[in-house]
Parts: sequence; C-alpha cells; structure tokens
Amino acid sequence: MNSFLTRYSSTTPEADIRKAKELYGEDDDVSEMIWGSAGGFGNLAKGVPTFKVPAVPDPTSFLRMHTDDHADPSCRIKIKHGTTTLAFRYQGGVIVAVDSRATAGSYVASGTVKKVIEINPYLLGTMAGGAADCQYWETYLGMQCRLHELRNRERISVAAASKYLSNLVYSYKGMGLSMGTMICGWDKTGPAIFYVDSDGTRLRGDLFSVGSGSTFAYGVLDQGYRWDLTDEEAQELGRRSIYAAGHRDAFSGNTVNLYHVKQDGWQFIGNYDISELHYNGPGNVPGAPGGGYGYDVRVAGRSSANAPEDQ
Amino acid sequence: MSIMEYNGGSVIAMVGKECVAIASDLRLGNQALGISSNFQKIFPMTDRIYLGLPGLATDVTTLRDTFRYRLNMYKIKEEREIEPETFAHLVSSTLYERRFGPWFIEPVMAGLEKTPSGAYKPFIAATDLIGCINFAKDFVVAGTASSKLFGVAEGLWEPDLEPEDLFETCAQTLLNAVDRDAYSGWGAEVYLITKDKVIKRTLKGRMD
Amino acid sequence: MDISFALTGKGYVIVAADTTAARSIVKMKVDEDKIKVLSPHLLMAYSGEPGDTVQFAEYIERNIRLYHIRNTYALRPPSAASWIRRSLADSLRSRRPYAVNLLVGGYDTSTHTPHLYWIDYLGTMSEVPFAAHGYGAYFALSLLDRYHDPEASVEEGLATLRRCLDEVAKRLVVTPEKYKVKIVDKDGVREVEI
Repeated sequence: MNSFLTRYSSTTPEADIRKAKELYGEDDDVSEMIWGSAGGFGNLAKGVPTFKVPAVPDPTSFLRMHTDDHADPSCRIKIKHGTTTLAFRYQGGVIVAVDSRATAGSYVASGTVKKVIEINPYLLGTMAGGAADCQYWETYLGMQCRLHELRNRERISVAAASKYLSNLVYSYKGMGLSMGTMICGWDKTGPAIFYVDSDGTRLRGDLFSVGSGSTFAYGVLDQGYRWDLTDEEAQELGRRSIYAAGHRDAFSGNTVNLYHVKQDGWQFIGNYDISELHYNGPGNVPGAPGGGYGYDVRVAGRSSANAPEDQ
Repeated sequence: MSIMEYNGGSVIAMVGKECVAIASDLRLGNQALGISSNFQKIFPMTDRIYLGLPGLATDVTTLRDTFRYRLNMYKIKEEREIEPETFAHLVSSTLYERRFGPWFIEPVMAGLEKTPSGAYKPFIAATDLIGCINFAKDFVVAGTASSKLFGVAEGLWEPDLEPEDLFETCAQTLLNAVDRDAYSGWGAEVYLITKDKVIKRTLKGRMD
Repeated sequence: MDISFALTGKGYVIVAADTTAARSIVKMKVDEDKIKVLSPHLLMAYSGEPGDTVQFAEYIERNIRLYHIRNTYALRPPSAASWIRRSLADSLRSRRPYAVNLLVGGYDTSTHTPHLYWIDYLGTMSEVPFAAHGYGAYFALSLLDRYHDPEASVEEGLATLRRCLDEVAKRLVVTPEKYKVKIVDKDGVREVEI
C-alpha cells in the first residue's frame, strides 16, 4: 500500500537495502545489514538491534528505581511477572507446559497470556520473568535460527540456539533484562532442553521448572517422572503439574498450555482451564485418570474420623 | 509487602428490598502461598446481624472472639439482642481502642434493623481499621479485592432487588472481582438475610 | 531453616520435624527433638526463632499439663489449639513477641477424630488435612494435594510423608538429614523411625 512512499523514503529498512546495494552492488558478499525484511520487527530488521536509553547519567539504576517492585512496592511501573513453566525430556520427546496468568502487583492483568513462544517448527521457548524481554529476544532468536539455516543448509541445534540466546542476554547483563526461559526442541541429537536466564546461566537437563510456582510444579513432577513414560502419561504429568502450581501459587493460574515436541517438530496438545481441571479434570483425554484434580474433589466423601465399628 | 495483603481475602455486603446479603471468599494465604480454602471471614453476631472481617487472619480470629464475648455481655446486661446501628458503634469503638496499634481488619457488617412499626429495614456498614464508620445505602466492600469489587458492584447493583436477585448480584460481583485479584478467591460463601430466614450458600469459585 | 510436616490419616496424625539446631552457618546439634508431647493425645511441632521456640513450647507444655492436673481431663485438640493460638496472638502485640510456628496434631478420643492445626507466629490458625512449615511447604503442599488420602493406613501415611522428605531432599538447597517422626492415634503417642 505504501510502496510509492517506501520506494523514495530514506529511513525505512528498504532504503537501507537500497543504499547497501548502491554501496556494494548486487554482490553475494554483502553486509549482514541487507538480510531480513522489516516484517514489523522495527530495529530488528537492521540485523543488530539498537535501543534508545534514558538521557540520565546512569540509565541502569534509573530504570531499576522505577520498575523494581521487590525493592519498592510503591514504584510506578510494575513489570508483569509471576509464572509457572515446565519442560521435561522423556523417551517420547519433550513435554512443555505453562500457565497463562500475568499479574501486576496483586492485579491479575491477564489470564490468556501465551507463554510458549514458537520459535520455529522445531524449537519452543518458554516465558518467565519479563514478558516483553522474552517475547522480543526469542523472536529475535527465531530470526537468527532461520539465518543459520539459510547459511549452513541445516537446522540449528538446540544447543547452538540456546547458546546464541545465552550469549545475547549475557551481553546485556546488569541492565535490567529479566528472563528465565527453557529452549526446547528436537535436533540431530534427539530431544533437548536448555535452561537459559538473564544472569547468563545456561544448563542442559532433562527436567526444569521456572517461575514463582515452580516449586509446586516440581513437587508433583518429580514424584511422577520416569524416563519411560508413555506419551499420554507424560502429557498428563505436565498438565497435572501446572495445575498444582496454578492452585497453590497466587501468581500462577487461569489456563494450561500444553505442547509436545517429537522428531517431526512440536505439536500443540491443548489449552485447559485450571478451574475446570480442579472440578472436572481434563475431560476425555488419553492418560487422564478421570475426575477432578482438586484435593477436595478427589477425596470427597472420605474421612479421617475413626469411629469404632462395634458402637 | 503490606500487612493488609499478607493473608488475602475480601468481603462485600449489599442492600436489597427488605433483605441484605453479605459475601466473602474462603482463601487463607501466606502471601503468594495458599494455605486453606475454607477460612471463614463472615460470622453471625445475632440472628440477623452478620459481620465480615477481611484483613490479617490472626486478627480475624481474635476479633471474632472479642465480639462474641462483648455481645454475650451486652445480652446479659440488656436482656435483649443488639440492634445493627448500635452494633456498628460497638465495632467502631472496639477498633478505636487500638488507635495507636490497630487490628489489621476492615469490618463489613450487614443486618436487618427493627423499626418502631415492627417492620425490618436493611442495614449495611463498613469501617476502616481504626473504626471510622461508613453507613452506605447501596453496598460496601473491603479486602484485597476491594478496588475490583467496587468496579463490578457499581456496574451490577440496582435498588430494591428481591432476595434471590440480590443473592445473584452479590455472588456474581464477588466471584468476578476475586478472579482479578491474586490474593482472594479459592471458593466463596454468601449469606442472604431476609426477615424470616437466613440462607447460607457456599459457592464454587475458581481455585487458582 | 527448620522444616516440619504433618498429615492426618484414618484415625491418626503423623507429625515430622527435622532434628537440626543451627546457629548462623553451623549445625550445633543434629538430634534435637522439636516435637513436644503436650498431653496423652496431643503433639506439637515447633520451629522459628532460636530461643523463642523452646521457651514458648515449654510454656505451652507446662500450662497444658497444669490444666490436665487441675481438671483430671486434658484439653481436647480443638480447645488446646485455640488456647495455644490465643497465646501467640496475645504475644504478637506484646513488647517482645514469640516468633514460633506450630503444627498441632491430636486425636480427639470422644469423637474418634484426628485434628491437625496449622498455626503461624502471628497466631493465624487453620484446621487442615495436611500441613507444612518452612521452605518444605513450597514443595510438599502440591505433592500432598496430589497424594494425600484421609483414609490412608499408617503405612500409607508414612509412605506419603517419605515422598515429602525425598522431594525436599532432592530440590531444597540446604536439607536437613534427619527427621523425628511421631504419631498420635487412639492409643496415644508413639515415635517411629523413618
């Protein structure tokens, strides 16, 4: 629609490509700058993202002063946080399950957040911590993974993709990025999970849970986990663990999003309302025992009273 | 971290036509951690006065006991049940006794007042944590979801609701408001007070 | 950091508490019993501020005993828990409050019902089917939501407790190595090895 405008504009990414062409000619050996399209990604289109920073002597502490609600609950900008995410590797691939609640202070800002980021058909990233940080950098990671594919004529490994993200967030260390993510996928080596966070930690593993409700998820997950789980059992375990966290943790809840990564890429299994899981269970789903997950629902009619029978 | 948000919980009371309703959630938390889903915050004071005590859970129990004691003493001395307006002042002065080290509770009360003609008139009131009374004609709210309760109640409440309509209005207001509050929820209960009976209903709410 | 668990089952309450007494980064003692037997059918696990814990627990123990001596009968679990809670709530607004968290478990011999109360240092009390204090709560409560059964036999109850201890051992950074476990049922209190 704006083709006339973009053709003569001097500030759009297309203009950058035009200028690059003028500089280097239609050569194969051109700068990274011309790769990619604007595609709605703003400064990402240039290849290397750039950011404006506040015009104060110390931008990092300025930002922290106004956004860090742990140090100062009355600060004006409350970054959305509070989450439960989990991923585990087993015989049949990788299960990724997350909740969908976003809170700002005690306010439930949204109950329909997508906390699994579909990087490409073989890679999933989970979202805990700053929602915007995770969304932006994992999308960016997706672009870099695609470029890797084009350059090397093969898909990027999960190890390489997670290392790319880890190095990237590490370069911003101390500037207030907040993310705890799991990069999950299937590559030449089989199923793989990497935990990557904004401190720069990167861990390979079989089973991770991240977020304010992670301890509750671990409680159920660890007890039910085995390498030789069937696909149905594994999906049920992922769903049940996120339910457990959604129930006990005030900052997790609303719905569960469940994904299964197999050799031929990831598959979205379903979205389950946590309250529905509490009272009625996941419904007619393979692997589910039937009935609600809730403690009161599960033990309804059972009593610890012990009246003697001969009375 | 605020003391008023430490345990979570919310209460709302509404006026209807010759009836009142008072409702609360059932969550007891330790900040983000849920401990119990049957922690009651509404207590009967007389046959037709109910008191909701949202706030710090230790004070919920202590104040419930205090009011039970004071009402028993009142009944023995006066040889009659207390009237709602008198009770509101009892609540107020009990809280103001601790002006410089308050109970961390914002009480909400609902009841039916006996008029000289023998009819019953709806009564609701709320106080802040040191006893400033707010006699309202429509509805009163308190607790961690109070701002959300105000929003929903302003939208749903209308004058002269019949008992069953009042119940529905009150229940839906509470249920929908607590779903937007991380510290309230985990089930709910509603007391509907009419001139000849009190109906208590436990509601299924979202459990997350 | 103290960890304690308790759970009810068919006609009994199991109470477990770790046995470490720590000061700063040092374990001063590894076999401390932090579960008091208050009366023939009443147990109390206590944890919290060192010093306050034992002082408060002994105060409760002696007064419950005094009641028993004066009245021939011991207080039943709901009344005992209520009195203990009130002691903490009153202490909270005193010049120097006790910072002690409690799990009170008892068997009511007249109604044949086990009772378990979760009480924190503020005097917050709630009757629950299972409970935990300390960081253990963050791992064990979801696990107990999944596995606890009010009609479980003692063996099944101990197996469920075992799951909690294993989970804490697996996930918590600093873990106690030993726990003291006591059971109260119609026959009174007994200690078991786990």
